[in-house]
Amino acid sequence: MLDPRSLRRFRKNRGALVGLGIVVALGLYALLAPALSAFPPELSDFTAPRTPSGTLSGPSARHWLGVDHLYRDVWSRLAHGARISLGVALLATTLSSVVGASVGMLAGWFESTRARLVDTLLMRLVDIGLSFPYLLLVMAIGAALGDVTLSTILLVLGLTSWFGTARLIRSKTIQVRGLDYVLASRALGQSTFRLLLKHVLPNVAGPLIVVASASVAQMIIAESVLSYLQVGLPPPTATWGRMLQEGQSYLGVSPRLAVAPGVCIFLAVLGFNLLGEGLRDALDPRED
Amino acid sequence: MIAHLLRKLGWSVFTIWAVVTATFFVFNVLPEDPARVIAGPQARPQDVARIREQLGLDRPLLIRYAQYTSQLVRLGGGTPGDGTLSLGVARIDLGVSHLKRRPVVELLGRALPPTLLVGSLALVFQLLLGTCAGVVSAARRGTIFDWGTVALTLVGISAPTFLIGLVLQYLLARGLHWFPLDGYGRSFAERLHAAVLPALTLGLFGAAYYTRLIRDELLGLLGQDYVRTARAKGQRELVVLLKHALRNALIPLVTVIGLDLGALVGGAIVTEKIFRWPGIGALSVEAIVDRDGPVVMGVVLLFSSAVVLANFLVDVAYALLDPRVSRGR
Repeated sequence: MLDPRSLRRFRKNRGALVGLGIVVALGLYALLAPALSAFPPELSDFTAPRTPSGTLSGPSARHWLGVDHLYRDVWSRLAHGARISLGVALLATTLSSVVGASVGMLAGWFESTRARLVDTLLMRLVDIGLSFPYLLLVMAIGAALGDVTLSTILLVLGLTSWFGTARLIRSKTIQVRGLDYVLASRALGQSTFRLLLKHVLPNVAGPLIVVASASVAQMIIAESVLSYLQVGLPPPTATWGRMLQEGQSYLGVSPRLAVAPGVCIFLAVLGFNLLGEGLRDALDPRED
Repeated sequence: MIAHLLRKLGWSVFTIWAVVTATFFVFNVLPEDPARVIAGPQARPQDVARIREQLGLDRPLLIRYAQYTSQLVRLGGGTPGDGTLSLGVARIDLGVSHLKRRPVVELLGRALPPTLLVGSLALVFQLLLGTCAGVVSAARRGTIFDWGTVALTLVGISAPTFLIGLVLQYLLARGLHWFPLDGYGRSFAERLHAAVLPALTLGLFGAAYYTRLIRDELLGLLGQDYVRTARAKGQRELVVLLKHALRNALIPLVTVIGLDLGALVGGAIVTEKIFRWPGIGALSVEAIVDRDGPVVMGVVLLFSSAVVLANFLVDVAYALLDPRVSRGR
């Protein structure tokens, strides 16, 4: 996947390194959340002083980013929001990559065999999936389930977003299928499953990683949109989208309440986009 | 070629049917009870039961599905104002909203013009800005301007729609008072003025995306023989770009516009929510929160038809442009 030459290209790409830096920093922020914050994210600290004008108390040594309208520590809520945003995005992407790659490889493999019907049916399914108003579907399922938990968000996001991946992996599989050594393996009587696993998967892994990286960015946006539209995880759970939605009402007095989660969402998406572009350039150089 | 397009058309209709069916079952199998939502949390069980009966929710799922699809498309023109949409010999009946007690066709008809206004403004905006920025960036490749444009497009691609919307609203409406904060307006001029911010919000992602696409395409085409010929004739760089390279760079753009409709739809939901814009997106959010099944079905049907139609038109354009397609594989 990442041979030495790709690795060298990646290391020379400044944007990719910045992206990697952002992603690692946010990852650490999420992992170390309990250690970094003295206050639980859902605890109201009513001892937080009010400013003389009566507005919410701003950044202080006690509360690094101040408190929100319910006297909860913003820094701590952001850190726990990072856990949810990044965790959901990574797991949902894993799910959609596994499904998308499996469907894509199967469809591509059977494209020119007698079992072409498998390819046709799977690709029709992908066509239908791509015609769905994706965000609407996710929202409808989220709202109709009533009680939204982390696993429902994960499943809904993961299972509604694999269609594009499947289409890409299919076209790559068709290319790989015709390669000489794959043909040789087939002639030696390898089973289809082993062929897909041993020869096709390593060859489509590069594009898969690139798509997955961009998909993490999309998942972060999707999760925060759901929270923002109040059909995501219910309060008092701290998510970036909900913090932004709640902070919006205080834009006039305490803009930090909306700005802080907004910056986090933007940085996370930017980080994964940069990383994805860096990986694409490193793995699939168009000009050397 | 006719056979090819007919096959595509049949497939498009099938896709819409599949989307509608899937949405119907997903929305109706899931646990939360619309009658309970309508009656309110403290309603007596017999009231909830009465509402269920009124809405026909007490009937078996398959019967409800059969009813929905059989009334969806009926032959024969309807009378004006009966809540159906007449399409020549057939009419489309999307049922009645559970909560608003109005025909869904009427609700969609009222919400469509605002969405089309913002959507078309956004499309014009992203095409104009994307093409111009892409051409200039490619013409000045390697300069600070080019570098800055690429950096800006990355920001545009990475900022979620709702973030862009909030920032624009805060800066241009709340801060500078150039535009109204939100709402629709009464006269057309007012509406146009109010539509600028939502359109910018909706179009910024596309503008950034198109800028990159055009720039990359142009840079790829600049190595082609006909470009070298044009340069050898002594034409100015800008003329080479605009007259020779841009025409070819626009071809992938046409494909992307068709595919982008889905992204615009997603963006419209969020944008209309932020700017309180009375369009389809706002209607769909409201319907989903209220568990208003017929309206959700109507919106999904409208959105997926638009996406499928756009893809079909792209196919038609390809078939007309590329003889290889029309002759089949």
